[in-house]
Amino acid sequence: MYRYDEFDHGFVASRVTEFRDQVNRRIAGELNEDQFRPLRLMNGLYLQLHAYMLRVAIPYGTLSATQLRKLAHIARTYDRGYGHFTTRQNIQFNWPKLKDVPEILDELAEVEMHAIQTSGNCIRNVTTDVFAGAAADEVIDPRPVAEIIRQWSSVHPEFTYLPRKFKIAITGAPNDRAAVKFHDIGLMASANASGEIGWAVSVGGGMGRTPMIGKLINDFVPHEDLLAYLESILRVYNRYGRRDNKYKARIKILVHEAGLEKIQAEVAAEFEKARGGVLTLPQAELDRIATYFVPPEFETGGAESFDLTAERQRDADFARWVENNTHPHRAPGYTSVSISLKPVGGAPGDASAEQMDVIADLAEKYSDSELRVSHEQNLVLPHVRIVHLRAVHAALVASQLATSNIGAITDMICCPGLDFCALANARSIPLAQDLSRRFADPERQKEIGPLKIKISGCINACGHHHVGHIGILGVEKKGTELYQITIGGDATENAAIGTILGPGFTETELPTAVEKLVDTYLDIRETPEESFIAAHRRLGDAPFKEALYGTR
Amino acid sequence: MDVITANELLSGAVVYLGADGVWQAELAKARLFAADEADARDAALATAKANARLVGVETEKVAVSEGQIVPNRLRERIRATGPTAPNGPERQDLGDDHVSL
Repeated sequence: MYRYDEFDHGFVASRVTEFRDQVNRRIAGELNEDQFRPLRLMNGLYLQLHAYMLRVAIPYGTLSATQLRKLAHIARTYDRGYGHFTTRQNIQFNWPKLKDVPEILDELAEVEMHAIQTSGNCIRNVTTDVFAGAAADEVIDPRPVAEIIRQWSSVHPEFTYLPRKFKIAITGAPNDRAAVKFHDIGLMASANASGEIGWAVSVGGGMGRTPMIGKLINDFVPHEDLLAYLESILRVYNRYGRRDNKYKARIKILVHEAGLEKIQAEVAAEFEKARGGVLTLPQAELDRIATYFVPPEFETGGAESFDLTAERQRDADFARWVENNTHPHRAPGYTSVSISLKPVGGAPGDASAEQMDVIADLAEKYSDSELRVSHEQNLVLPHVRIVHLRAVHAALVASQLATSNIGAITDMICCPGLDFCALANARSIPLAQDLSRRFADPERQKEIGPLKIKISGCINACGHHHVGHIGILGVEKKGTELYQITIGGDATENAAIGTILGPGFTETELPTAVEKLVDTYLDIRETPEESFIAAHRRLGDAPFKEALYGTR
Repeated sequence: MDVITANELLSGAVVYLGADGVWQAELAKARLFAADEADARDAALATAKANARLVGVETEKVAVSEGQIVPNRLRERIRATGPTAPNGPERQDLGDDHVSL
């Protein structure tokens, strides 16, 4: 993992000192809310419906055991004993008191964390593949590049007041687990004719009220030129992005209105000027950053004492967990373990302080002290020896963390919704809870297979409903909540935006409507191996629409 | 009818302007402004907005049903009672250390 140098430590400490002073001045009445609001937002502090909310950055979703333990401590000491992991691979605390926030930021700084640029019209936390540095299908570990982007984009003076927020996602694997085509900039490892690895760059993707799939603007940017290329895109966006209308200010609208060719030409012109300049990454610097991400020394001995097949045969719960919650690792004898934060009836993405401590202990003991936060609101132990799976599973069972549903219908993405969020129009969490109860039976989940439900409580789409195989969007109509269903969305390399099937459903009607879609899929699939999204690709909306609304 | 609501500065907790002019955590203690009390409401709103210990001061439409004050908007009903999920967290406590409003 990246470690702060003296500059990083000094910078973060000085920001905490500055914010402490700003908080004191606000409490003393020397600053009014209009003056204070932009200052608190620059430090990740929002005011939601019931309380302040502090959003803490987890750079590219990578956490150490020490950092997770600190988050648990903060949850316990300053909040309500839990934290909420988000679709941006961050964590949010829902109940901090204003006067405690400088203390919290001090505590975070101790473990090289902060809340800077988790709000505002700046470049936000770079997100990546949850299995980065571990996945068997990975071409290159994207985290050194993500770290370089983080350093470049942190308090970048030119990009602190962009037309709107800006999100970059990067993946080093051909199977996109980071939804890169739904980000302002998406980066995917690609090879040129000589077999060198660089980056395919897409631009203008996003969700929100105007969902767009990112468009390929350059199919190969070499490592050393990546920052110059990113800066060129940002410069074009900063110059031409709309500032007259907040809803049309994202780069996706600029690319859509101006056309890809025009933006491509503008970026190419900027790139001509920037290329070979100060932003060129020297190989020595790339190598230096890469040393922070050297994989652990993978062990090979002692594996003969453990028979995974026999263990799976012996214990059906363990077998189900291994099947659903482990992911192929690049090192023989290792796997990546997903820890589901989606128990039946739970609030997706929430973890108690006690659970965080347990997971930190497991990371320390079994995963080289490393953890990942997924944009699907789960946690991951990236490097677990297969011989240790039994012990890890047993510890997770003891802490109610062994829900075996990764990728299944109950592994839903869900925004905080109107229960917490000042922007929401409808609740999301109770809906997710109802659905998880409706589909709780593990055998039924297995029969249904991979199916991604994503729920947003408003059109801002924090719950990624546009890319749900089944997406649910809460809206308010005449003072009551209604839920629109979309179908066919896909966040992977096969990027697709779901289509709205018809009029919305009430909260009580919704689980039955979802069940009808699932039953329809089970009826029409050609084989049990044909997934929900594959069946939808083959047959389109029609059978699902008919299931919900009849043939009219 | 209207009530005046805000979030308290230190805790962020939801508060309502009470009948006695004191800010209250409970909606039940909120002062109700009838339709013909617009001037009084606007004066109270202006005073509240000038109070640096309050954030996001707004008026909200409510009705009285079976003796209970019920906000028209779901959002406000949730602000008044807290997150709705069973076993979910309680509303924010105004706390003892908040500066007197």
